[in-house]
Amino acid sequence: MSRDESKLLYAESHEWVDLAQEDGKAVGTIGLSGFALEQLNDLVYMELPELGRELSVGEEFGEVESVKAVSPLYSPVSGKVIAVHEDLPERLEELNDDPYDFGWIVKVEVSEANSVESLLDHAAYQKQCAEAG
Amino acid sequence: MMNTRAVSGLSLGPRVGRLLSLATFGAAENMAIDQAILDSVSRTGVPVLRFYQWAEPTLSLGYFQGLTERAAHGQSDSICCVRRTTGGGAIVHDRELTYSVSIPLPAGSAGPRSVLYQQMHAAIAKTLADFGVQAVPFRRTGVGPRSDSRNAQFLCFQRRTAEDLVVSGYKVLGSAQRKSRTAVLQHGSLLLCTSLYSPQLPGINELLSLQLTADQLVPQIAKILSESLGVDWRVDTLSSQEESNAEKICCERFASSLWTSRR
Repeated sequence: MSRDESKLLYAESHEWVDLAQEDGKAVGTIGLSGFALEQLNDLVYMELPELGRELSVGEEFGEVESVKAVSPLYSPVSGKVIAVHEDLPERLEELNDDPYDFGWIVKVEVSEANSVESLLDHAAYQKQCAEAG
Repeated sequence: MMNTRAVSGLSLGPRVGRLLSLATFGAAENMAIDQAILDSVSRTGVPVLRFYQWAEPTLSLGYFQGLTERAAHGQSDSICCVRRTTGGGAIVHDRELTYSVSIPLPAGSAGPRSVLYQQMHAAIAKTLADFGVQAVPFRRTGVGPRSDSRNAQFLCFQRRTAEDLVVSGYKVLGSAQRKSRTAVLQHGSLLLCTSLYSPQLPGINELLSLQLTADQLVPQIAKILSESLGVDWRVDTLSSQEESNAEKICCERFASSLWTSRR
């Protein structure tokens, strides 16, 4: 089932998070927004975090390179990395076509429910993108 | 795909920026100073323009390049090596002028700041034109984008991206960026003369039988960039906080074999 981007939460730094309950745990699936991917233009490298790493809100969890620019990825939630999309760095050319399903980067077991309070809903994120664009 | 989006000019001004005059440091020190400057621009929002050269011939690897890829370029295998935090391919820093410019970013900006590539390279192209050198961005040469395999060459100067400056078909200026949450560092190399350690790459002086020096170019580059960015560059030195941060970064990262061999 396709993820509905209008139902996701977004960080100012353009990561999206899909919050869901999995086996009784709050799990956040994280990716990069379509807007960010369009701006990045031509991703050539992506570095992913290790499984089990503890992340706090706003912490760098990976990096990408495009047009010779290296940009950090920031975690929109706190918690432990419980899954990593290992195939993604080798298939970056497919990311722009499907940023919200194929393009998931990591899954995090969210440790602090209130860590999502500062995130933007889709409308607020769209407004930010319009102002930036 | 090459980045061919039209971008409007970037203006930061009017505001004051800091200009760090042409100076020579070792490889790890140069990279650590650029990182310390990025950190301070992230905090203060005050732009910094810096010109530098290298105490000894140095190979810098792009952030994502593997150390073992050095085997692809035997001519530089005897010189020291440092890993950058910026992207792109490897560079032999020898008979060149290196610059770095660090500027604050608006909240929520995403991706490379192509406009900064354009404006810094335009300032250098205009400066070169004053000395009779016609340097143009690769996107204006009429040559199509390179295939993936050509743009995966080990050396940066054997690759081509849209904003690289080209003279007589040869790339003479390439730049790369590193973003933080609130600032971006861009540094780049202008090949003045051919290096013994990368003899396949001609510098401007060989291409046009000139004897340009870094000292001749720096003041004019700063002046033109001042006009285009709206920044009044004031000559300055590293603050004591930047110096101590650079020392720490140098030891912990750029002078560390773990950092250099991390890929």
